[in-house]
Amino acid sequence: MFLLAFLMGLAVGLGFWVWQQVHLNWYLERLLQPLNSYNHKISNIKLLLRPRLRQDISMVNKERQNLQQSLSTYKEVLNFAPLGYLQVDEENQLLWCNQQAREILYLQRWQPGQVRLLLELVRSYELDQLIEQTRDWQKPQVQEWVFHPACEDAKVMTAVKSMFLRASSLPLSAGQVGVFLENCQPVLDLKQERDRSFSDLAHELRTPLTAIRLVVETLQTRLEPPLDRWVNRLMQEVDRLINLVQSWLELTQMENNPTMQLNLEQVEMRSLIISAWETLEPIAQRQSLNINYSGLESIYIQADKSRLYQVFINLLDNSIKYSPAATTIDIETKIISTDSRQILEINIIDSGVGFAIADLPHVFERFYRGDKARYRSPVSEVNSPTGIAGSGLGLAIVQQIVIAHGGLIKAMNHPETGSAWIQIRFSQIMTNSPSQDYS
Amino acid sequence: MKTVFDTPNHEVPQIERSIRRLERDLLRMGALVEQSFRLSHQALFAGDLIAAEQIPKLDKKIDRFYRQIESDCTTIIMREAPTEKDLRCLSAFMQLVRDLERIGDYAKDLAEIAIKLFPYPQHSSLPEIAIMSQHAQAMLATCLVALADMDETSGQRMKHLDDAVDNAYEDLYQTFAHLENFPGVMEPILLLTLAIRCLERMADHATNIAQRVTYIVTGQRS
Repeated sequence: MFLLAFLMGLAVGLGFWVWQQVHLNWYLERLLQPLNSYNHKISNIKLLLRPRLRQDISMVNKERQNLQQSLSTYKEVLNFAPLGYLQVDEENQLLWCNQQAREILYLQRWQPGQVRLLLELVRSYELDQLIEQTRDWQKPQVQEWVFHPACEDAKVMTAVKSMFLRASSLPLSAGQVGVFLENCQPVLDLKQERDRSFSDLAHELRTPLTAIRLVVETLQTRLEPPLDRWVNRLMQEVDRLINLVQSWLELTQMENNPTMQLNLEQVEMRSLIISAWETLEPIAQRQSLNINYSGLESIYIQADKSRLYQVFINLLDNSIKYSPAATTIDIETKIISTDSRQILEINIIDSGVGFAIADLPHVFERFYRGDKARYRSPVSEVNSPTGIAGSGLGLAIVQQIVIAHGGLIKAMNHPETGSAWIQIRFSQIMTNSPSQDYS
Repeated sequence: MKTVFDTPNHEVPQIERSIRRLERDLLRMGALVEQSFRLSHQALFAGDLIAAEQIPKLDKKIDRFYRQIESDCTTIIMREAPTEKDLRCLSAFMQLVRDLERIGDYAKDLAEIAIKLFPYPQHSSLPEIAIMSQHAQAMLATCLVALADMDETSGQRMKHLDDAVDNAYEDLYQTFAHLENFPGVMEPILLLTLAIRCLERMADHATNIAQRVTYIVTGQRS
């Protein structure tokens, strides 16, 4: 009886033990499953559970060490990068930044490991906006702006230089945002330096060129045909050079002084455009080109008449050059009324092949020449009545004048015909038409 | 770098996070005011009218922040049962945005003065006013840093700068007041007097901000 009871108890105890073992095995098996998933080789070998467990744990440890090591390598690489990099969390707190970022943004106050609001360290509204936008739109963004380092000392304030920065941001997981910072100031300085030395050169060239022209002029009167042909040719080329130098100097002056002296007066747009066309008519007739003006009969704007005249001469000259023979150049003016003001829009559309898409962002740059199809032949260049338009500076000058008038200029291709389409918008309309006055 | 991988601590109470967000908006507004001041300086002393034209747009943004921060403060006080320290912080914030907004307004005034002053020849005391403006800007920067760091010790430096601005104001005022046999129109002198008044007020508001920061940290009114 006693023995039976003992055996019963043993059986129950054993039952419990076996049940627990099975439970434990099942638990361990389940625990190991995710670990094995990335290492199938080992999982295929049926090992006893415990050695397997030990092996897996050591494997995971090793993996972790490797990951940590590669992480610290990446961190070191990023720290050494010539670009600035910083990373913020979902609350815009600065988590980490590299050495370069610390130099660009004057982040000396920040210590690694410290988590602080980025705005507490750099009061830059633009940078903060960029980060917010990147997070909201979940898309990489690029922004450029002039960064003014904050300065708490009035005496050194004038010595602190502002910087032209370009920031590229990308959204990361969990609302974090990473930002790469690039200091573009040296490039900008270099460009200014280049323009300045070019202008100095142009300035120096002007005097000898004028002297050469005088000499050629004297020669012209003293030479008999057929020898004078050479001198006449020389004269044309000298004039072209002088025009180029003059336009460059003018353009530089306009760029350096955007609020340039404009002799503002009431200018009637239609007659201005027509008179510019009449100047160019002799060349246009050679190609049997026509002009088609449509739109407002009389519209007055506040502008500098001679500068605007130059704008239309340059633009129409360009259009004539790129138009095939016996076609029409369309000029259209219209008024667009927005809720707050009226805008005068002028469209000039030729019948040529249009701008190459790759050229469109650059057509207003100095000396930018597009692809060969639009490359002007030397003959038409010599015959250009203005000389300016042939210099590669024509559109650059046009843009500067329009900007000085507070206007906008855009170059595009007409969606239907594919021909070149220049659009100008002015906002300082004086009166729609004086004939509407009841006086 | 370690902190990058720490999950953000979820046990931060709601009110603390709200206040942190408020502080962020406050610093954003501070950045805008600083920018506005910088532009008005350029407009006034470098004749940069493009800078002057940008200010009204900035001022609208500043006003929007001002209204938003104020209403946010009220909401937090009503809804989230702030402790004594939180309440001190919130009430100081409400006063502080007012000061910041005033500085922004004065920057706008300075821009308007710059536009009116543009046609006149430069006055001989303009460089002196520029230095005064730099001192006032340094004060704004200092008080914003004090706000960011919750640093109660900036008071001494602020006092020093404020004295410089006050002295400059007094000197310039005397110069303008005792002009005798003044040739031509009075407008430039009037405009310059208004400008130094604006700068003096801006410096005063910056001092107020620094004092409110001290109040948040120590609970003491100085």
